[in-house]
Amino acid sequence: MAELILEVLPLAIVASTPLLLAVQGELVVQRGGMINLGLEGMMLVAALTSILSARASESALLGFAGGIAGAALIALVFGVFAIHLHADQIVTGTAINLLAVGATSFVYRELPPSLVTQLVAIQGSTAIVPLAWLVFPIVLAIVLWRTSFGLRLRACGENPSAVVAAGHSVVAHRWLALGIESIAAGLAGGYLSLAYSGFAENMTTGRGFFALSIVIFGRWKLRGALAGTALFGIAAALQYALQASARDVPYHLLLAMPYVVTLLILCGVAGKVRPPESLGR
Amino acid sequence: MLRATHVSKSFGATRAVDEVSIEIARGEILGVVGENGAGKTTLMRIAAGELPADSGTVEREGRVDLVHQHFMLVGELTIAENLALVDRARFRFSSRKTIEREAIAKIAESGIELADVSRRVADLSVGEKSKLELIKAISKKPATLVLDEPTSVLTPFEVEELFRVMRRLSSRGTAVVFISHKLPEVLAIAERIVVMRAGRVVEANATTAEELAQVMVGPIGPIGPIGRRGPIGPIGPMGVHFGEIVAIVGVAGNGQTELAAKLRDQLRDAGHIPEDRTRDGIVAEMTIAENLALRAKRWRKREAAGHAQQMIALYSIRANGPQQRAGDLSGGNQQKVILARELDRRPNIIIAAEPARGLDIEATRFVHEQLRAAASAGAAILLITSDLDEAFELADAIQVIYRGTLSDRMSPGEARPRVANLMAGIA
Amino acid sequence: MRRLAYGVVAAIIAIALIALAGAALGHSPRQLLSILVNGSIGSSFAIEGTLLKSVPLLLTGLSVAIAFRAGVWNIGGEGQFIVGALAAFLASRFGVVASLAAAMLAGAAWSSIATAMRMWRNAPEVLTTILLNFIAIQLLGWCVNGPMQESVRQYPQTDTAGAALPSLGGLPIAIVACVVAWWMLYRTAEGLRLRATGFNPFAARWAGVNVSAQIARAMAISGAAAGLAGGIELLGVTHRLFERFAAGYGYSGIAVALLANLHPLATILSGLFFGALVTGAGELQRTANISAAVATLAQAIVILILIVFGAIEKRRRWPS
Repeated sequence: MAELILEVLPLAIVASTPLLLAVQGELVVQRGGMINLGLEGMMLVAALTSILSARASESALLGFAGGIAGAALIALVFGVFAIHLHADQIVTGTAINLLAVGATSFVYRELPPSLVTQLVAIQGSTAIVPLAWLVFPIVLAIVLWRTSFGLRLRACGENPSAVVAAGHSVVAHRWLALGIESIAAGLAGGYLSLAYSGFAENMTTGRGFFALSIVIFGRWKLRGALAGTALFGIAAALQYALQASARDVPYHLLLAMPYVVTLLILCGVAGKVRPPESLGR
Repeated sequence: MLRATHVSKSFGATRAVDEVSIEIARGEILGVVGENGAGKTTLMRIAAGELPADSGTVEREGRVDLVHQHFMLVGELTIAENLALVDRARFRFSSRKTIEREAIAKIAESGIELADVSRRVADLSVGEKSKLELIKAISKKPATLVLDEPTSVLTPFEVEELFRVMRRLSSRGTAVVFISHKLPEVLAIAERIVVMRAGRVVEANATTAEELAQVMVGPIGPIGPIGRRGPIGPIGPMGVHFGEIVAIVGVAGNGQTELAAKLRDQLRDAGHIPEDRTRDGIVAEMTIAENLALRAKRWRKREAAGHAQQMIALYSIRANGPQQRAGDLSGGNQQKVILARELDRRPNIIIAAEPARGLDIEATRFVHEQLRAAASAGAAILLITSDLDEAFELADAIQVIYRGTLSDRMSPGEARPRVANLMAGIA
Repeated sequence: MRRLAYGVVAAIIAIALIALAGAALGHSPRQLLSILVNGSIGSSFAIEGTLLKSVPLLLTGLSVAIAFRAGVWNIGGEGQFIVGALAAFLASRFGVVASLAAAMLAGAAWSSIATAMRMWRNAPEVLTTILLNFIAIQLLGWCVNGPMQESVRQYPQTDTAGAALPSLGGLPIAIVACVVAWWMLYRTAEGLRLRATGFNPFAARWAGVNVSAQIARAMAISGAAAGLAGGIELLGVTHRLFERFAAGYGYSGIAVALLANLHPLATILSGLFFGALVTGAGELQRTANISAAVATLAQAIVILILIVFGAIEKRRRWPS
């Protein structure tokens, strides 16, 4: 078993890169006190906008930038509703996912397929992997725990009144958190389409919800997020390996594995889970 | 130096502050007293610049900082981190050591004692949290410091400590405004006292207790003793007899909330009056009739409206009718709805936590009457309160709660000399 | 009354925006609107289609409305719909009544999995119900490709179900369900307590309400409604199961419920509206080649607009 895990480890790391980015992005936002269910939609839109901009510019860099722009657009909608209109964040997030699915499907079907699909991955898209696993976590750790901004952002998630009483703007901090999540989700969605075969309808298949679950599993800590994603990635990679070798295991049941694993993850958080005090309010 | 001239502020239909003019000199210790809802907090928030006034002007020399009634602290962060929150710097790298060093400096400068800045705020005692809020405010170096009901969660010893700090600040030229509804304390520390009622200043220079009391409230009727007797029935380790009122007193944060919640879950059929009226007491979005019917077996709209109408009359609830949204009622009237719902069923046991908190004199009197009436009708009543006056007025027996443990039962006479010590944890 | 107006305005704005989007892509908005209207209510054929599409939406909308009223986030309508249909198929040999009963039980059971996880492990039901959707989809895929595949083993679908409902037979059932739900919520003491739990679970608990029981019951009823929707869709419309059987009915239920302001009777109207929208969108795809995904877009826009109105309402109440 240990050998098998070592074998699939590289695949696990690469394959769960978009998930790791999403997890980190959502972690920042939830630490700031918001729940963004629309993460799924952000990645989906990013997947589409990144391939479109990569096609137009023939560059992976601009492709990813396009992905970030797409994610930011969705984050903008969420932010207006959640931060300024004080809307219920769960309903808003769900609506945003519907919006993303509807909008991407709508646009996708209007475009010629050659524009949004590709046979070979775009050059340079794999640079995201070390970025996601090394650079992003380090930067995040410093920003969240070693700067005054990070301190205040974390306070926003616990007791926003205290932040206001200390003379700072909760609104500004939460928008910045959404900005960080846009970068993360944009890169994640971009990777999904650029490093593989381009865009396909509904291609995120629930990754956003995996990310949300891992944030909870990791108890809203960065270490937990990394560990949770790695665990999840290994489980997913094992699923592919099993699929390849054991032919009589039903295909559909294997496809259901990641979701079952995630359910177990959500249940396996032993004892009381303590989220940021003002999460969702 | 702070001067407010003809300041007014309304919230919807309520005029919270009505043409108030007030002046505070450098280094002065000013007391502001009045009933709950008199406008003291609103006025000071306007003076501090937190709220904009609808009309009138405010002139300030230097900063005016307000220490709020409710803690504005982040429990998950440490003392040092909470103090670092007030930093103006947008984006600054700082290690844990730096933050702690700065925190220790701020504490030293304030003259207040608070040890070990690496502790999580959630682990602090209520008195320590109070000190932290004060240090936070002082560290901003205000010219005027406003303290809003600072002694409500302090033991008598801690109150003395606070007064020392206030005098120290005053001697250094900082003006201190002390908002409170506790007259004896204000008389002890303030150089000058302003009295507010219904949004107006009714007296700007009171000095004696009698003067103050007369100005603040109307005449109070006689309250006679009511005989109590009945069969015996204990509740858990506490022991309340049927027909008597036992008061559990203590500074907030010593386990009262947990005690009340536990009793609520164990004694499902008892009458429960929760401490937090707005969150736990009524369902704001539902009508008075619906709130009253929550414990009922049946729900027939017309019946419920009739019953609600009865309750409104019986409990003198000021409302537009049974269909009015419970959330639109004033605090006192909401409390009456809760009382009606819980007491009308004539439960054998009643657990009342801070039943008169935030209510004006009349409403408080009403609540106390209801509890006494229930007791003389035979109910066993447990009164959980931090208001010593309330406890001594109502209770047949008193116990003190400190860090989750209850003292022995005492008669009011036995309790009087001992209660201050017990509340501070001294045997 | 104001709520009704908001709903109508939201619906109008959503359609207008769709027309605009269509215009941006080169189509004439007037033409789009006429196709939409004709395709949904312009002929007896269209009306039949609309009513047919409304039935599952009515019920999934009801499912969401009941759950949200209790303050529970049941986003699992999709999965409960599928599981309900699966159970209905298996029980179809015993007749329509048994089949639909099985559908309700299965839907309730599926949603109760999420309830159990919430009660025992604090797992947020908003996530667990969504994950269960994905699992149900795979379950369906496995069934129609494997053990439940048709006897001729040609396509990934089941044989025809053993029982059938007349064409619009599901409509009266759905309407009755909505009326029963309304009566339960607004005319019984337990319904009062359920609504109180949704508004303020803290105050409800202090007033002696068994909040856990209310939540569990609401989730079960919610799941049953969605399951029933699946059963009716199977017995009355498709008559066999296949992949993509659910096609978003569960998620659409959210828009239906919110447009109805979570009121079971209004859900009837809301369900009919979205049924018309979906049918019209289908026509749009057939004639103007515009993706039927506009229906999903319209749902999202309606929800977002309703949220805006809700925020305006709140500001009216507490201007500060």
